[in-house]
Parts: sequence; C-alpha cells; structure tokens
Amino acid sequence: MTSTNTSTALANRGVPAEIDGPANPLRVVWRAIATIWSVPKARIGVVLLGAFIALAVFAPLIAPYSATDNSFGRSEDMSAAHWLGTTAAGQDVLSQIIWGARVSVFVGFAAGIFATLIAVLVGLSWGYIRTVAGDVINFVVNLFLVIPALPLMIVIAAYLQNGGIGMIILVVVITGWASGARVLRSQTQSLRSRDFVTAAVFSGESPGRVVFREILPNMTSLIVTNFFAAATAAILAEAGLEFLGLGDTTIVSWGTMLFWAQNSNALLTGQWIVLFAPGLCISLLATSLSLINFGVDGLSNPRLREGASR
Amino acid sequence: MSLMSVRDLSVVYASKGAERVYAVKDVSFDLQPGEFVGLVGESGSGKSTLGFALTRLSKPPAMIGGGSILFDGVDIAEMDPKAVRVQRQGGFAMVLQSGMNALNPVRSIRNHFFDIFEAHGHVAKRDREARAQELAGKVELPGSVLDRFPGELSGGMRQRVSIALALSLEPRLMVFDEPTTALDVLVQHAVMDTIRELQKSMGFTAVLISHDLGIVLEVTERVMVMHEGQIVEDASSADILNAPQHEYTRMLLSHYGDPRAEVVEVPGLASRGSLRASVVEPVEPVEPVETIELAPTPAPTHAPARTREGRAAHQAIVVSGVSKLYPRPSRADQPVLAVDDVSFTLEPGASMALVGASGSGKSTIAKMITGIEHPTSGTITFGDLQIDKVKRRGLKSLHREVQMVFQDPYAALNPLHTVEYTLTRPVVNYSGLRGRDARRRVLELLETVGLTPVEQFAARLPHQLSGGQRQRVVIARALASDPQVIIADEPVSMLDVSLRAGLLALLEGLRETWGVSMLYITHDLLSARLVTDQIMVLNKGAVVESGNTASVLQNPQHDYTVRLLDAIPNPGRRTPGGSA
Repeated sequence: MTSTNTSTALANRGVPAEIDGPANPLRVVWRAIATIWSVPKARIGVVLLGAFIALAVFAPLIAPYSATDNSFGRSEDMSAAHWLGTTAAGQDVLSQIIWGARVSVFVGFAAGIFATLIAVLVGLSWGYIRTVAGDVINFVVNLFLVIPALPLMIVIAAYLQNGGIGMIILVVVITGWASGARVLRSQTQSLRSRDFVTAAVFSGESPGRVVFREILPNMTSLIVTNFFAAATAAILAEAGLEFLGLGDTTIVSWGTMLFWAQNSNALLTGQWIVLFAPGLCISLLATSLSLINFGVDGLSNPRLREGASR
Repeated sequence: MSLMSVRDLSVVYASKGAERVYAVKDVSFDLQPGEFVGLVGESGSGKSTLGFALTRLSKPPAMIGGGSILFDGVDIAEMDPKAVRVQRQGGFAMVLQSGMNALNPVRSIRNHFFDIFEAHGHVAKRDREARAQELAGKVELPGSVLDRFPGELSGGMRQRVSIALALSLEPRLMVFDEPTTALDVLVQHAVMDTIRELQKSMGFTAVLISHDLGIVLEVTERVMVMHEGQIVEDASSADILNAPQHEYTRMLLSHYGDPRAEVVEVPGLASRGSLRASVVEPVEPVEPVETIELAPTPAPTHAPARTREGRAAHQAIVVSGVSKLYPRPSRADQPVLAVDDVSFTLEPGASMALVGASGSGKSTIAKMITGIEHPTSGTITFGDLQIDKVKRRGLKSLHREVQMVFQDPYAALNPLHTVEYTLTRPVVNYSGLRGRDARRRVLELLETVGLTPVEQFAARLPHQLSGGQRQRVVIARALASDPQVIIADEPVSMLDVSLRAGLLALLEGLRETWGVSMLYITHDLLSARLVTDQIMVLNKGAVVESGNTASVLQNPQHDYTVRLLDAIPNPGRRTPGGSA
C-alpha cells in the first residue's frame, strides 16, 4: 500500500476510532423544497400542481361516475347530477375531466423526465468532450432543432398509428430533447474550465465522474427548469396531438375531450363548457409548472432569493 | 477646518432572516484638505464598507447605522439620495477595484465622459471635447484613447480611464478602493505613481483603501489601520513604520521583508540564509537564453527524496526546449507564443520558483508539466513518462506523482461537496483504500494540514470555510495521492498577508517531511525567496535569468528581474514622491 509510509509518519493522533457515514442527502432535498415554497408565485404553482396530482391519483374516489359511462342524456346542461353537463355521447364531463387529469399529468411527467434525461446525457457529455465527436453531435442536435416540431410530431404520430399514450410520449421526447441539450451543453462548457473541475481530473476521476458528480450537481436548477419546461411542452403537445385526432381517441384525456367536443360541434349547441373546461385545465397545469419555475431560479441564485422576499 | 469629519459612524448589514452585523463600529476620524490617507485592513475588516459609506454608495443590505459624516460642514449621512447626487460634483468620488470592468463595452471612452458631463451639466457643450482630452492627459493616456472602446484597452488603461472619470467632477475627496489590486504587478506600480502625482498636482484629499500595508506606507502621509470594524491605529506613516503602537499593526508589518536582504524572515518561516547552497552559480544575462541547464544543486538544499513503496523513486522532471504556440485568437491577431524554448530540470526534493508578471507564460508551463496542455515543440519527461505525449490513461498515472495547488481557493473546491468527499476521491482513486480506511486517511490528511478538529472540518462545505482554510484543503487534496512533485500556482496570492506565511510554512514543512519537490509559481519575489532554493525568471515566455534564488535576487543581472524587484511594496522604502 502506498500509504503505509505516511500513515506511520503521521501516526493516529486526533483521529477517532469510530467513524460515521456521510451526511443525509434528504436534508438537501428538504432545503430545496423550502426554497421553492418561500417564493409566493412558486407556492401557487405547487398548490395547483398538487391539486392536479391529487385529482389524477384519486380519480376513482373523486369522480362521481365512470368516465366512459355513456348511459346519461346527451348534451345535457349543467345540473346537480352533472355539474358540468354531459357530452354529445352522453358521458359526464366532470368525471372525464377528473379521469383525464391522469393522462395529462402522466404524459407530462414521463415525457418531461425522458426528454430531460436525454438532454442531460447528451448536453453534458457534448459540453465536456473536445473531440470530433462534438461536431457530429452538433450536427444531429441542429437537425432536430431546425425541423419544426409540430409538423414533425404529426408525421411521426401518423406513422406510428394509434400507438396510445406510449406513442405520444415517444413523439414528444423525440421532438423535445434537443433545445435542452443545447442549453445544458453551454453551461457545461462554462463549468468545464473551472478550477474545481481541473482539480477533479487531478484527483484521478474518470471523465464520467467529473461530468456527473462535479459538473452536474452545479447545474441542478438548470436541469429542473429544463424538466418543467419539457413537461409543459409535453402536456401541450399531448393535448394538441389528441385534439388533431392523432392519438388513441378511445382513451379519456383532456385532448380527446377537446377532439370529441370539436367533432360534435359543442360550441354550436351552446355547450361551451365541454370545450372550456379541458382547455382551462390544460393551461392551469402548464401554468402551475411555469410558476414553480420561478422558485427554481432561486435555488441556485441567492440574490434572486433575497429579491423575491422584498 | 477639516474637509471631512466622521463621528461614531457605524455601518450595519441587515439582511432579512439574519442577525444584524456591524461591519463598521463607532469609527471617528478627520480628513484635512489635501491629505493623502491610507486605510489598511485585511479582508472582512470593514475597510471597503467604510469607503462606500464615506461616499454614500452603500447599498442594501448595508446601511448607515448611526453617527455622522460631516463633509464640508454638511452631514451627508442622513441626506436623501437626490441631494447627495448634487453634492458629488466638487464633492466626493470613488474609484473601485473593479472600476475597470464597470465601463460599458459598447460605448466609446468619449461617450463615458460625455455622459457624466451631460448628467451634471457643468461643462459647456463646446468645451466637452477639450475637457475629455485634458482628463485623459491627466491620467497619462493619449487623447486617441477617447475613440476606443473598453474592450480595446488593457486593464491598466481601463483603470486609468475610471480614475479620469472620477476626476471629471473635480472632487475634493477621492476614495480609492484597492485601485491596483486587479492589475499586473508591473502595471500596479505605474498606476499608483499616477495616482500619487495627481493627488500632489490637483491637491484633492485622497483615501487609499488597501489590504497591502506596504503599498499604503509607500504613498500616504497618514495611515489608519482597521481591524474588525474599528480603527485600531491612526498615525503618520513614519510612526506606523517606526513605532507601531497596536499589536495588529506590528503583526501586519512583520510580514514584509526585502527579498534582496542577506537574511529574510517573516513570522513562522525559518529564514533561508543568503546562500544555503554554498556555491553561487555565475549567471549570464544573455537574452534570449538558448538553453538553461541549471547546475545540479548541492545535496543539502534537497529534502531527502523519500522512496514510495511499489513506485519508481528519484525521478526528475526534465523540460527541454519546450515552446507553446497558441493559435491566433482572431483573424487580425498574430499567433501567441506563450512559452519560448524553455529548458530546466526539477530534481527530486528540490524547490524551484518560476517567477514573472502575468502573461509571462508561467502558468502555461505548469499546464504542460501536468499534461493538461501539450507543448508545440520540445519534450517534457518524468522518469520514463513522456509528459508531452501523455494520453488520458497516462494522465492518471502522471497525476499520481505530479499534483497541483491552485491559485484561487474559492474556485478550486466544488461548492457542493463536503471537504470529506473532496479528499476521499483522490484517496480512493490512487491508494485503493475503501470505506473506513479511506476515511481514516482523509482525517489524517486534514490533520497534516492543521485543520483540527478533523471530524468537524471533514463535514463542512467550502462556503463554511475561510479562504486560508480552503487553501489548506486544496493542499491536503494535492497530498492525498502522496505525489513526488507539487506544482503550486500562486498558492497564497489570494490570501491575506497574515495568512500567507502560515501557508507557506505549511507547504515548506510538508515538502520536507514528505520528500516532495515543488515548482512554485509566483509573481511575488519575497515568497519565492522564502520557500525556494532555485529560481527562474520568465519574461514573455522566455527564461531571462535563473540560478540560486538568494544569489539571483541579491544580485539581479537582468533588467526585468530588477523591475520585478522594484515592484514589490516595501514599507521601509519611501519613494521620493511620498512625503517622509
């Protein structure tokens, strides 16, 4: 062992025999949540998002009827039995909204997580390497950035006919990772030249460890921001694709509600609520994520934290 | 009557959710017209906070907590911001350390002047050009500088511009907050001379805030020493130098010395006699020097190079004919020759200084020796290892033997990792120790660098440590792999004077007990004299002088070495400009 020499030379003065493990990472997470909560805008976002998640998780308990139950009167107005009326197919609108939250929240988070994951993997390694491979990645990312997202989504979705939720997540991820990768790459490039990164190389760290243990934690807020942006985009894209009828029209989601409402000319029959309610929910869910983003900014920038309290 | 009279002034930092902190406590002093006063203190002493308060530039969370500032008989401490703004013309101005970076990059220097003339309306439109020319002349800049943009000027020129801007309102009181700290050593000296001459010729009252008692004593008539928010001593410069009353002042003074002296001593560092190596190598002042073969130094100068089990021992770093050419930064520029045909040998156990002003290529040499950059031509070898050709695999085995201590302790530690994590990584990577053994080793390292109680320091995050403590962690990390060579790149230049000696002593002690050779990179010849036996002076990438540290510094042959020596602030040396 290389250390035998020095160990004996230094002896064991002052080094206790009992040695504990490292500090608890849960406290770090708790502090992050507290920071987000301290920003009023973000607090509203957290409450809104919490409400939607609760709606999605407890849909069977909350919803008065089954979402697919079409045994009610068609296109009924708002009443005590059906708070938001019924659809042209005779389903309860409120129950559909509640069940539909499941799809939107799930697609939003799943697509957000996958898109961010790819963006992190590509962006960080792309930012750290200085070889020709960087140019290749550059070309691929530019390709995805330059193609307009919505037409691409429509083409891919039309190609993967009726793949259901999984297909929609895939489409959103394919079209959504590139911009995040570019943002994370430039931040990586600026962190790469910092002394502590060079010091980690001197400590014998492998490139992977340097990137993911030294650089990555220093851009947590950027990654979280990127996640919320990707999730917002995913929720909107999901609704958009389903509204265009490119998803599985048999599942109940806010997007398909809009699709069927449009198909049955809900506005002409005076049933504005059937269009309005899912639309409002989509925008509220997207808004809640954007509001949380205000708090995330404060995570890495103490100055913003102070400014917000004033 | 005094120009400014400060009575019981307190400045408090009151940020939400934190305790009120008094940065300045009950400070009282007077400034006479035309006086040049120094305000000296280490970081955190409240000297800048006081400077900001004097010119009413304090920003929240800092605020004046009590007392009065009488400027020309008017209390400006309680004055509303609008009235203060009017007062600034012919009143008080401040020059900041970062003033040179405060210029708007998309506006020409002329526009900067005109903006001020416009805001105060004190210069008639047709006189503006002439006035701007005159101000530029005052700070020894050519008139053509007005057409330039900040990005086209050097740091020293930009700092001169910011001084000229401050002068444009004809202030009667100028506060200079570390005006030269961010500049290169040689430029520092020139800018300081300009400030002193301006003060003499224009007769304004000046307050020079600095951490460097040496600079302050050289140029000012009176010095106020600040410590923990209070002025602990206020006396004429001569009295401070010859008969310091307060313990703190004495401590600050003790850290200065003349690297040219026979014996140089600062607290905590044993003196290196003038010629520890009994033979003086004759130094030939040839320029450019083709190849410099440092004569093998006699044995006594070396710490006993220790054999590390299972590793090759007694290896020297041999640099021969190394050049580094950086590609031209833009089409209009020439390629930059950062290092020009440098050769030397770092023997096992030796300590060698590499000195030069910024841009002399000393850090580039460090990067090439550590394999971070590859030389354009020439070879660097360490035993069998060809450092100039090393790839990623070899880099790890190189870094086991060659480690680095970084300049900026605030940038060299990952802010999100505890001290323990930072130190565990090299231990795990190089020694193969795991779990408790690794942790024990980390705690031993902490003890070696004097961070006790070790358990507490191991759990801390970098922001919970002071600058000196951080630098100790950086040193511990460099030692974790039990290296044979340590490259120390300006390891103490970012630290307070009183901490420097302690860290240098630590480095020196560790070098001897661990049998490590050290390449000490610095612009500070005093510290080079204290911890090294051999020296190489670099100018524009080429070695201009080398040899035994003591003999080179006592008997400098090259003009550039003399200029570097002259740039060292020395309280004992009163330049003719300062009134002694």
